[in-house]
Amino acid sequence: MQNKTTKNVLLSGASKGLGLCICGKLLKSGYRVYAISRTLSGHLRELGEAHKGRLFFKEVDLSDPIGAANAVFKGDFIPRAFPLDAFVSNAAQSYEDIVSNIDEAKLEGMFKVNVFSPMLLTKYAIRNMLLNRRPGSIVHISSICAHTGYKGLSMYAATKGAIESFSIGTAREWGRRGIRSNTVSPGFMEIGMATSLSDEDADKIRRRNSLKKAADPESVADTVAFLISDGASSITGQNVCVDCGSR
Amino acid sequence: MLKELLDIINSIRKNSGKQPLENISETTNLREDLGFDSFDLAELEVNIEDRFGIDVFEKDIPISVSDILKKLGR
Ligand SMILES: NC(=O)c1ccc[n+]([C@@H]2O[C@H](COP(=O)([O-])OP(=O)(O)OC[C@H]3O[C@@H](n4cnc5c(N)ncnc54)[C@H](OP(=O)(O)O)[C@@H]3O)[C@@H](O)[C@H]2O)c1
Repeated sequence: MQNKTTKNVLLSGASKGLGLCICGKLLKSGYRVYAISRTLSGHLRELGEAHKGRLFFKEVDLSDPIGAANAVFKGDFIPRAFPLDAFVSNAAQSYEDIVSNIDEAKLEGMFKVNVFSPMLLTKYAIRNMLLNRRPGSIVHISSICAHTGYKGLSMYAATKGAIESFSIGTAREWGRRGIRSNTVSPGFMEIGMATSLSDEDADKIRRRNSLKKAADPESVADTVAFLISDGASSITGQNVCVDCGSR
Repeated sequence: MLKELLDIINSIRKNSGKQPLENISETTNLREDLGFDSFDLAELEVNIEDRFGIDVFEKDIPISVSDILKKLGR
């Protein structure tokens, strides 16, 4: 028997890094998590074993936006009449280079994963919330890069800027149906995609913020959990920077 | 079929504080006669898709009840 009061969350990029941290946090808080990524990592499998019956996984590749949306919403993973309470869009890829070297194919690939797929998944998440009359909550993970320029990250930052604008529009458009949309902009964290940074660059970034340290993924995950909770019922169209004071 | 559509339409009207309708006909205009805005129409779309398995708004937006019936193949 499924507990009717347990809330259902769709989470992208749950296999590692920040997504894994968010997944653990949501499971601990009692949510049922529908996790997607290209691989089922050992860590995610362990989370599933520790929270039996509340973690569901599907292998989905966001570089094919239509295929991904169909895999999530048009089969038996999240059927239409299965009420979704929240969508946390965390998966992303980073393609780093200076602007004079832009490679169109890499650019397009990154936009598919970071922008088109999150938009299409939002489309179907909203349709699900509308059908089931749920006051759902959407959270997109952005990045401090969208607000502060970093050498080599202009194209990646542009995907985050796009998703922040999309979230503001979504919030305005769907607020009348009780659906909220917010973004969280983490600063540099010592996990995931940032581990490719050189020690020197990481140090420079740390020195630029007020707290003089890397952002804690747990703090980012707590912020996400708060934004999808009832405690945030009056918050929409916002961006929350969890960046140790980088601006 | 019309009765099923009427039930869906009335549940949407109820949700936005409108009185239920007694009946609809093929010529009923979704915006003018039902007073539906784009958000009510989106709700209509997902409910029809749920009930009949067809997204009747996929290619173009139906204007009247008969447009919906045609797309449902009736
Ligand atoms: N790390 C930082 O310092 C930092 C700072 C600011 C913002 N962020 C943002 O935080 C989020 C998480 O980043 P992270 O550092 O945790 O990165 P990460 O460790 O590289 O994790 C990325 C996640 O996204 C999934 N993913 C990537 N490409 C995918 C695809 N094509 N289809 C499906 N899933 C895909 C990965 O799973 P699979 O590989 O299994 O598919 C993984 O679970 C991202 O939105 C990132 O932009 C990170």
